[in-house]
Amino acid sequence: MAVSDLFEKDFTELERDGILFSTLGKLVAWGRSNSIYPVTFGLACCALEMMQSTNARNDMARMGSEVFRASPRQADVMIVAGRLSKKMAPVMRRVYEQMPEPKWVISMGACASSGGMFNNYAIVQNVDSVVPVDVFVPGCPPRPEALVYAVMQLQKKVRGETFDEDGVELPMVEGWTRS
Amino acid sequence: MSGASILEDVATRLGELGGERADRGGDVHVAVPADAIREAVRRARAGGFEQLSDVLAVDWSEYPRHDGPRFTVIYHLFSPTTMERLFLRVAVGDGEAVPSITPQWRGADVFEREVYDLFGIPFDGHPDLRKLVTPEDLDGHPLRKDFDLGESPTLFNDGRYLDPASFRAGMLGRDAGRTGWVGGARKGVVSEQGRDEAPSDGDGGTP
Amino acid sequence: MNADAPGRADVLREERHGDFDTKLMRINVGPVHPATHGVLRLVVDLDGETVMGATPRIGYLHTGFEKTMEHRTWQQVVTYTNRMDYAHALGHDLAYVLAAEKLLDARVPERAQRIRVLLTELNRIASHLLGLGTGLLDMGALTPFFYTMRERERILDLLEMVSGVRMNYGYFRVGGLSRDLPDGFEAKVQAFIDDFPAALEQYFAMFLENEIWLARTRGVGVLSRETALEVGLTGPSARASGLDVDLRRDAPYSGYEDYTFDVPVAEEGDAYQRFVVRGEEMQQSLRIVQQALTRLEPGPIRDPDRRISLPERHELETSMEAVIFHFKLVTEGFHPPMGEVYVGTESARGELGYYLVSDGGSMPYRVKVRTPSLPNIQAIEPASIGGTFADMVVNIATMDPVMGDVDK
Repeated sequence: MAVSDLFEKDFTELERDGILFSTLGKLVAWGRSNSIYPVTFGLACCALEMMQSTNARNDMARMGSEVFRASPRQADVMIVAGRLSKKMAPVMRRVYEQMPEPKWVISMGACASSGGMFNNYAIVQNVDSVVPVDVFVPGCPPRPEALVYAVMQLQKKVRGETFDEDGVELPMVEGWTRS
Repeated sequence: MSGASILEDVATRLGELGGERADRGGDVHVAVPADAIREAVRRARAGGFEQLSDVLAVDWSEYPRHDGPRFTVIYHLFSPTTMERLFLRVAVGDGEAVPSITPQWRGADVFEREVYDLFGIPFDGHPDLRKLVTPEDLDGHPLRKDFDLGESPTLFNDGRYLDPASFRAGMLGRDAGRTGWVGGARKGVVSEQGRDEAPSDGDGGTP
Repeated sequence: MNADAPGRADVLREERHGDFDTKLMRINVGPVHPATHGVLRLVVDLDGETVMGATPRIGYLHTGFEKTMEHRTWQQVVTYTNRMDYAHALGHDLAYVLAAEKLLDARVPERAQRIRVLLTELNRIASHLLGLGTGLLDMGALTPFFYTMRERERILDLLEMVSGVRMNYGYFRVGGLSRDLPDGFEAKVQAFIDDFPAALEQYFAMFLENEIWLARTRGVGVLSRETALEVGLTGPSARASGLDVDLRRDAPYSGYEDYTFDVPVAEEGDAYQRFVVRGEEMQQSLRIVQQALTRLEPGPIRDPDRRISLPERHELETSMEAVIFHFKLVTEGFHPPMGEVYVGTESARGELGYYLVSDGGSMPYRVKVRTPSLPNIQAIEPASIGGTFADMVVNIATMDPVMGDVDK
């Protein structure tokens, strides 16, 4: 999004007086939302659609996800793409813990969000029980456009433009938390 | 298909080890005793069945009109020269072990481990017999018929519970579930299907 | 001594270090790794940069398919089969419906068989494009990936036209197909067939003469035919090692005996040949697609036997029997007679087969899927011993495993 959308009132001020007042938090949130780097966490079929979302037709790089980082230390978001088996769950938790704050999780697909069509001894029925999920994407598999839309929703969440179930505006992600 | 058929030849040589023909599904199946399986596989391989396609097991404990050992381990062999298939069947009971063919055929490694993991049939002489696909903390052997599928009931927002097992209960013929209907009445029934040929197996299930 | 015989690691150590007592470094690769094609974990023993052992540890995508299939009706199982090998999903669907039809002794009409072949071969091309693109990506060549994805998107559009989904199609049914082809499909397929050879030329021009690619694939990961048979390797990787088996030609099913196509086989068994064999297979699959397309004739798409296939909707208004069959099929499903059957097919990764055991009930008693990727990963170790770690990455890429296929 353009700088002008972020600071509408301030922008007129900038044009008139040549100076812009804003909060550092807003600026940081704007920068963060436009450069969300995912960690490579493709598990099953959704991983192929995740790869397709980076191709030339559904270019996710224009949303800021320029590269998929192999190292979780360099990543902002973990897109859980595919069915999470119970054997893989501790591995996923470990990768999540290795990501530095602030971090987000997109649960891509029906299997990650709710176990999907696999309701049995082997599949975790909701990835939210292992890591806190920010955006759920339905579909089996979700279209690449759906994943791009999910990233856009996450961007809104990062900038503080999201609302909870009761319509109350959620605060922007705090920029300076240490955990 | 190139080359003459080797099936009959190999089947005869397996007969010398105590193997009995148990054809089904249009393929050649030979039932061999467990202690002869290593020699049987060796002879089949020497006879031209150079590709081990699969090692699988079946748990017969819920099969209608089955009497005999609980499991059958099936060795699926293929000949890349004559394009023929051969199935060796070993009947094994619960808790009994089968000699492993991994020392003589490296490709059997993952297959035998998978059978051990999912059914609990141990293979004597396997270099590294441990779980293959299930998590370390899962006790039991999932593909056995007495291992529960492990379905979680679905909770809807308005408080309703959807129990998948009772939905299907009737169809499996085990219990009536919620509707009281018990299906599965056709289990064990050999249907004629109204075709010209009679179905190939009159009484299934004997390993 | 055979290049990939067991014990070669010890011979190598002897040659390199003689009497020195050296230790191997054991590192863990995966399951979260950019180059392991999914959640494959390898425990690699390294002597410096040389790989001395690579044991696969799998199970991180175990989904319990076979157990779940025992609790679904025969027709519902088709939803599950394509999630195993999600790259060549229709290969699984085809193998399963063929096995179930063999159990039922169903007669599938010509048109349905031809459409099945057409779509399966299109899916095979898409799978090889993916394998090619990601294989090159693993070697660091980022550009060809986007080009292969361009053609793969076109194929996925075609498949979406037919089934409604880009991946994990639920299009085949036991007895035929779920519905007929839409209008305009054949023209679009023809347009794709006309454009694809030029696209293939474009990909090959990108890497086939590239010195770096040649240095990274020629002579790398050599597997002999004996080793391929020893570990159970099948498919294009085995054909690159000289094992001349293609079940479409040698044990035909679904009408493959009527199509003219070649099966590329190579002798060297290195990564270069594994790439080239897949590229040539794409060209041959295109030939099959063209032949299947030309031979499409109007006709029924399901076995007319009412016990297996749903009746046409307009019949439900006039015939009571049709209503009863419809009711029974939808609530309970059909009942194959008791027995066991195996049907082997050729998927993009190798021999794929379904071993079905029926007890006469409406749900399968046992479904064993002979997936090609499970024994294929056993071939990574003999191919990689003696090579460098980077060569092992190339070997994994050229064996082209799909972890859903491995873990089931």
